[in-house]
Amino acid sequence: MTPAELTHALRMADPAISRFDPLERIIYHADFNRGHSGFTATIGNYEGTLDTILPDMNFLSPQLSNYPMWDTGTAGTMHGGYALKLATEARAGAVSAATKRLTMRSIGLIRLETWFGIKSEATQMVLTEHDVRAFGILFDIQDRSRRLLPRLRYHNASDGRLIGKWQIKTDHPKRHQIGPSGKTASIGHYAPVGYSDVPNGDQPLCHNELPTKMNWHYLSVTFDLRTMRFVEFRCNERVFDRDLPPPFELPEWPNLTGLLNTIFFVETDVDKRAFLYLDSVLFSCTP
Amino acid sequence: MIRQAYLSILARNASWSGDWACEPCECGWASEAIFFVKVLHAAPTARAAQARVQISPDGLNWLDEGQALLIGTEPGLYSARVSHFGGWLRLAGRTEGEGEIRVVCYLHLKE
Repeated sequence: MTPAELTHALRMADPAISRFDPLERIIYHADFNRGHSGFTATIGNYEGTLDTILPDMNFLSPQLSNYPMWDTGTAGTMHGGYALKLATEARAGAVSAATKRLTMRSIGLIRLETWFGIKSEATQMVLTEHDVRAFGILFDIQDRSRRLLPRLRYHNASDGRLIGKWQIKTDHPKRHQIGPSGKTASIGHYAPVGYSDVPNGDQPLCHNELPTKMNWHYLSVTFDLRTMRFVEFRCNERVFDRDLPPPFELPEWPNLTGLLNTIFFVETDVDKRAFLYLDSVLFSCTP
Repeated sequence: MIRQAYLSILARNASWSGDWACEPCECGWASEAIFFVKVLHAAPTARAAQARVQISPDGLNWLDEGQALLIGTEPGLYSARVSHFGGWLRLAGRTEGEGEIRVVCYLHLKE
């Protein structure tokens, strides 16, 4: 048995890992049964006063949820008690985002995998599958010459209509100078604009039949730090690896060389909270 | 094993005027909590805010837990301790007078 075969066999024998498909080196595996595992509220930059935070970059803390519902009680998660819950405010267009901050260990492939669920707050006694506008993942990356925020978004619904397609942000948002020092800037990059559709990227997801019934889904996103392009992504049984649009690039920013953040976000389309539940997250890379 | 503790930000630079409630926090894993409200500034016409700790069976419907705190208009910190709260917590209240108080609302949770 080769070392690669032994590694594969050991991973397949571990129920916590075998439901993922990691690259050679696992950087982190968060199951949220031992806390928030480094995922914290995303926040826009400020200087001197919190008033300088861009209005669409002011997100609140993620929570630990065991998925308690008013009609059926607590569900727990796939493989334990707790998931990480991102919750928007109950305001149409509101976004919630949570970040885990890393730096690059190597310049090769990176892969972010998760088992996730989406739902809106169960304030109505009918399935409202078009409340959640979108959710997605992004990396915040800077090498020696450029900064990128490569972002994959599932556009679930708008204006009461299910859409169900994958997108990549290709247009760069505006850079804002923050405060008088000249060294702080911010970009409001969570606005629902600047996306290009992934070719053949339509994919309906299971929303189940009640606002309290949530199913877990699998998502895997692979990105190449050498070419700064998405290589492939997978959601449940579908694989998308053809003609993925290139993400937008920005000139390098001060103090960010080597940055590699892993970020999740969710958007609501109505005056109701939208939730993104992360049962577990695994981040891996090639050596 | 070290006990889990977590600082949750339930409002950041938020404007509280009239009747208000901070975002709810799902926190069934915790057994004790302290709300801190940091007043950043207040409108000259705003007066103190009466705040109440609230609990919920489902995160949708709320009732007063019994703890209350008076949040002044001077910049500073105000707090309320709470335990045996079930699965959800939030702070609700009313700012008297005209205008807002601008606040950061913290919830310290401990296993």
